[in-house]
Amino acid sequence: MVLGLFRPKPVSPRLERLHSLFLFVNLTPAELAIVDALLHERDYLADEVIFDEGEDGQAIYIVLEGKVSIRRDIDGKPMVLAEMEPGAVFGDVALLNNAPRLAQARAAGPCRLAVFFREDFMSLLDTHARIASKISLQIARTLANRLRDVRIAPQTSQHL
Amino acid sequence: MNANHQGPGPVVWAGIIAVTCLLLFALQKMLWLVVPFLLALILYYMLRPLVQGLVFRGMGRDGASSAVMLGFLALTGAAFALMLPRLAAQLADGESMVERYMKGGLNLLERSLRLLEAKWALLANAQIADTMVHRLNNMGGHFTEHIEPLAMGIAAWMPSLLLAPFLAFFFLRDGGRFKRFLGNAVPNAFFERTLYLLHDVDRTARAYFQGLIELTVLDTFTLAAGLWLMGVPGALALGFICAVLAWIPYIGSILGGLLVVLVAATDFPDTPAMAYWAITLFIFVRLLDDFFYMPLTIGKSLHMHPLVTVIMIFVGGAVAGVPGLMLVLPVLGVVMVIGATIGQIVTDPRLMARHRHARLLRRQQASVDLTP
Repeated sequence: MVLGLFRPKPVSPRLERLHSLFLFVNLTPAELAIVDALLHERDYLADEVIFDEGEDGQAIYIVLEGKVSIRRDIDGKPMVLAEMEPGAVFGDVALLNNAPRLAQARAAGPCRLAVFFREDFMSLLDTHARIASKISLQIARTLANRLRDVRIAPQTSQHL
Repeated sequence: MNANHQGPGPVVWAGIIAVTCLLLFALQKMLWLVVPFLLALILYYMLRPLVQGLVFRGMGRDGASSAVMLGFLALTGAAFALMLPRLAAQLADGESMVERYMKGGLNLLERSLRLLEAKWALLANAQIADTMVHRLNNMGGHFTEHIEPLAMGIAAWMPSLLLAPFLAFFFLRDGGRFKRFLGNAVPNAFFERTLYLLHDVDRTARAYFQGLIELTVLDTFTLAAGLWLMGVPGALALGFICAVLAWIPYIGSILGGLLVVLVAATDFPDTPAMAYWAITLFIFVRLLDDFFYMPLTIGKSLHMHPLVTVIMIFVGGAVAGVPGLMLVLPVLGVVMVIGATIGQIVTDPRLMARHRHARLLRRQQASVDLTP
């Protein structure tokens, strides 16, 4: 009976949705349950600012529904650098090096985002290093993909 | 658009101190809830790593919290059952024991004063030993009269102390949900700052209470080692009682010191040097505490200037007495974090503008099909 407490449980639709996200694709159901307890969900309306350029970065964002545009003022004119679709991750640079945001994120339409707070991620490094290393690997892959994109379209690559 | 990284200004600081004083004043009126709440917080930060470990091994949070709390209660119950016969025997002759230790202390004081009188004619002329012993004997008579109401008071407190494990269980089980609930209640514009605030409050409280536990362990073992070397019986129990009393700044330390001296003076009535050694040991441990242990444990948690800490301890004592002394540092730590964050948010024009913009968008969305 006691051992039954540790038996794998059926994965809930919510955890299945998390598992489908690029950042958490390598996590086991038990690891997903731990991460799920740390994630926050936020709803934004079209044109609502998610974060500003130059602001302190405290969290990483994952698009669950809708679209998010990444903008930057170039020569005094706001330019859309990228559009984030469901499953995309943004705000990751600030998460890694605690630096100010490099661009503004704004809801391109009504959207729902999962938010992973920086300090929760840092405490995962201490308490659940295995989970944190799996997520870190996925973030590194995101950054590698972005670096690769630099060679294709340099002006859209430095957005976050 | 950069976040304001400056520390709180004088207005915010005045607000922080005023709110801390108001809270201390209010909290002392409901100590029956505050004390179990504080004990529950200590228990929560002690047991949280165990719950996290079980969750990581695949157990649900509810199950892990229940298992850890049941395990803790079972261990406490077993320890209590083992100690009960000895405790009952001690309580049976509790009154005579208190009188014996009071008498031992009085004897030591009288002997020390007579020694001083023999060396200082001024003190001998003033008959300082006779006057002091007479006064203390009268006080001692009153003291024994107060023991029974004191014991009754402690017995009346016991049920509310049972709240502590109950509260700790819910902190363990629902702490994360509560944090998310608070986060969800905050507008999008302030969300990241609020997350940081909640994290900081949690970090401050965790560091403070874990520091307090570490300090208690260090104090217990240092005092116990010293008393054991001196040959005082029950050194570990005595060290633990003094370490717990030290949770109350100043007064707790004095009471702890007095206890050690009374025990040394009573158990070694023919060797007054033992009582003086006990005083020396206690002063040494207090110095070790203030300059070495405290900065290593609690001092790290609050990031407060030492002058502010000392002044606020006195303010806490003036506003709310002994409970104020005990509560002032954790309350100030939490209020300081909240005050500084609110100060940053309301003085950041960009955040306020974003919030107004989001409200306008929501109003427009709500009335999109209602315009004539």
